[in-house]
Amino acid sequence: MREKKSAIISICFISFVILVFTLADLIRQDRVFSETENKVLASRPEFAWDALFFGDYTADMENYLTEQFVGREKWITMKTSVDIALGRREINGVYLGTDGYLMEQHLPEQFTPIQEMKKIALLEKLVQEWNASVMLVPTADTVLWDRLPANAPCYDQVHFLEQVVQRIGEEHYIDVYTVLREHAKEEIYYRTDHHWTSLGAFYGYQAWAEAMGGKGDYDPADLEAVTEDFLGTLHSKVNLNLKAEAIRYFPETAAHPLKVTYDLKTVTDTCYAESYLDTKNKYGFFLDDNHGFIEIDTDTQNGKVLFVIKDSYANCFIPLLIPDYEKIYVMDLRYFNGRLFGFMKNYEPDEGMDVLVLYNCIHFLEDFAYLE
Amino acid sequence: MVFSSVVFLFRFLPLFFILYYLAPKRMKNFILFLGSLFFYAWGEPVYVLLMLFSTIVDYTHGRMLERLSGKRAAKCVLLSSVLINLLVLCFFKYADFLIQTVNLFFDTKLPLLNLPLPIGISFYTFQTMSYTIDVYRGEAQVQKNLLDFGVYVTMFPQLIAGPIVKYREVQKQLHSRGVNLCEISEGMKRFCIGLGKKVLLANSLGELWTLISESNLRQISVLTAWIGILAFAFQIYFDFSGYSDMAIGLGRMLGFIFPENFKYPYISGSVTEFWRRWHISLGSWFREYVYIPLGGNRKGLARQLLNILVVWLLTGIWHGAGWNFLLWGLWFAVALVLEKAFLGKLLSWLPKGVGILYTLFVVLGGWVLFALDTPAGILGYFRAMFGMTGVLIDGQALYLGREYLLLFLIAAAASMPFFGKVVEKLKKSGSGFGIAVYGLGEKVIPTVLLLLSIAGIVDATYNPFLYFRF
Repeated sequence: MREKKSAIISICFISFVILVFTLADLIRQDRVFSETENKVLASRPEFAWDALFFGDYTADMENYLTEQFVGREKWITMKTSVDIALGRREINGVYLGTDGYLMEQHLPEQFTPIQEMKKIALLEKLVQEWNASVMLVPTADTVLWDRLPANAPCYDQVHFLEQVVQRIGEEHYIDVYTVLREHAKEEIYYRTDHHWTSLGAFYGYQAWAEAMGGKGDYDPADLEAVTEDFLGTLHSKVNLNLKAEAIRYFPETAAHPLKVTYDLKTVTDTCYAESYLDTKNKYGFFLDDNHGFIEIDTDTQNGKVLFVIKDSYANCFIPLLIPDYEKIYVMDLRYFNGRLFGFMKNYEPDEGMDVLVLYNCIHFLEDFAYLE
Repeated sequence: MVFSSVVFLFRFLPLFFILYYLAPKRMKNFILFLGSLFFYAWGEPVYVLLMLFSTIVDYTHGRMLERLSGKRAAKCVLLSSVLINLLVLCFFKYADFLIQTVNLFFDTKLPLLNLPLPIGISFYTFQTMSYTIDVYRGEAQVQKNLLDFGVYVTMFPQLIAGPIVKYREVQKQLHSRGVNLCEISEGMKRFCIGLGKKVLLANSLGELWTLISESNLRQISVLTAWIGILAFAFQIYFDFSGYSDMAIGLGRMLGFIFPENFKYPYISGSVTEFWRRWHISLGSWFREYVYIPLGGNRKGLARQLLNILVVWLLTGIWHGAGWNFLLWGLWFAVALVLEKAFLGKLLSWLPKGVGILYTLFVVLGGWVLFALDTPAGILGYFRAMFGMTGVLIDGQALYLGREYLLLFLIAAAASMPFFGKVVEKLKKSGSGFGIAVYGLGEKVIPTVLLLLSIAGIVDATYNPFLYFRF
């Protein structure tokens, strides 16, 4: 009798879990888009005999059911919490550093020497043709290495940068690593996102200004928060309950009258896009997220022109250059598939222009590519 | 369909069991048969026909054997059944392997068939062979009811990954079986434990193995290599035994008693013992239908050694169509022969710990052959394990060791009778407290394992698309 009672309780426990979630899953509505994952979730596959025959239908159905499963994000948080309870300090390609820092993992084997050499050769050609200066910003794992879990494997960006300097020459290289490392105790990277902060960009600007004679006079004390609710891309990857952080900017960069033209059509008067502050992707505040080509006309009247070839790390850096140039062209090579040098010549004034290549090391190794 | 999926746990499982339990007794086999066909067809919409073909072939062979019982023609019928089963298995599983081998040795360029392997074919052909052989030997009765026989072949719990249930082990239950609440509860709990083993232990340690086996084997340290192969050893054990637990659990919920398939293999004191504890249903199948018919140990030592070799080469190749699996079988054959010759005696004089370490050593070496399918991979891995890379311990080993330490400890405890002993102790403690803890634990732990496994299953598709990372 007692055994029977015990059996009934066990059956109830387990059936309850299965049945409750089955029912909840049956009555839930499909979601089209997951903001956390930033992707369109699988939708119910259409039935077709040939899809069934080849097994695609059932595979799509399984994917659909799993991606739409009721309480998906809660389950993922639960899984992550279990992993952490088991002592894991790396979740889904993200290191859980000390002091609340999430840092993207880049494994030592991620890039082969051949890949490195190819990218450097491409960069060298650009540097020689245009007398360009180069800022390659190491990512957080390299600069804040002392906050990583002990012995965490890391791609050696410092070694890569040494090779870059050697090939392109010191006169073209702006050393961002050293200055960032000096300020590693400050808030130079976001805790929940893979970007550097405006403070990090400010130190980058200092290094740049020292080499190029920049006139911008910024004080970190002036940094002002535009939002306190930022949970970035790395937060999405681990999906834990974390404290949101602030996005800050230098208000004086917004004080100048500007004309900013995105992709040759949309014209605004600011290089900040407040609309992004209401979305998950709040870093898009800087330079309106990602655009293939941006033209910025400033109120600085020195006739100087700058052409920036960049990734998203540059988005919070470029506004700092407003006092230094009358005109800034910004190009994101991932959205451009013409011939780069010809395109640049179209925009080059007779008296020439400065060219700046600004990437984080990893994006540079992954994405830097162009046709002459 | 696999057990560790949303579609199984939250669609098939509740719907099937509600129908099954509500159905009147005479309808239960019909529902089980239809449910199993749906279960199989979900993953193999075409090969389900092959399984039905196999079912009908062995059913008719069984009926013919009954009619010809005692006559010489019966032997031909048996032969025909075994041949058809083996041909089907060889064609779908080994054709490309044979073609590749021919191409390699004779420098020909025969095209490959590139047929996908029908899921579970190695399991169900072995099951149906056990049926006709046992009927021929008079050890099992003929099944006259095609539906009942269909249920035996297609039954979804053990269809995809075993255990290999011999016909005579379930022949009575196929016809009439009852199930009470205690059995249902035991079955459910067993299922949850199996699911937890698969999702929480096997999958997590599998990630570690993938990470290590795919890194540059020339650079990994000795410690990393051993961590890696240990992770694989746990992965394959918890994957496989978890699947068997789930099958046995589901079987109990249906009223079937399936044979146990694993009995803590990693505490074996010898390789001979290991094979009595690892994938027991396969070992006993080969023993009964190959080793003993070949003469077993009754025809002299030389013949016995040959029989061991044959059985273990077959066991190896059964696990997959590749040279490395043959090698894996051979590896164990050598160990078993050595144990027969002298090693077994030697081990029995030594403390048990020595035997366990020796067995683990052989088994882990075996897993290298099993898990890596290229000669370069196998050699590279052995080189790393035995220090030819020149580094004993490096940062990677320390990092990974620290990351997975707790998981390894849990896995080690779970692959020993440790948890079982704790449960027994509580159950028999006699104290009110111990019994209360046991009563609560036996209900709560499987439920928690189920919940955590669901989290693991949902998480497996979690791959944030970081387009805005740029």
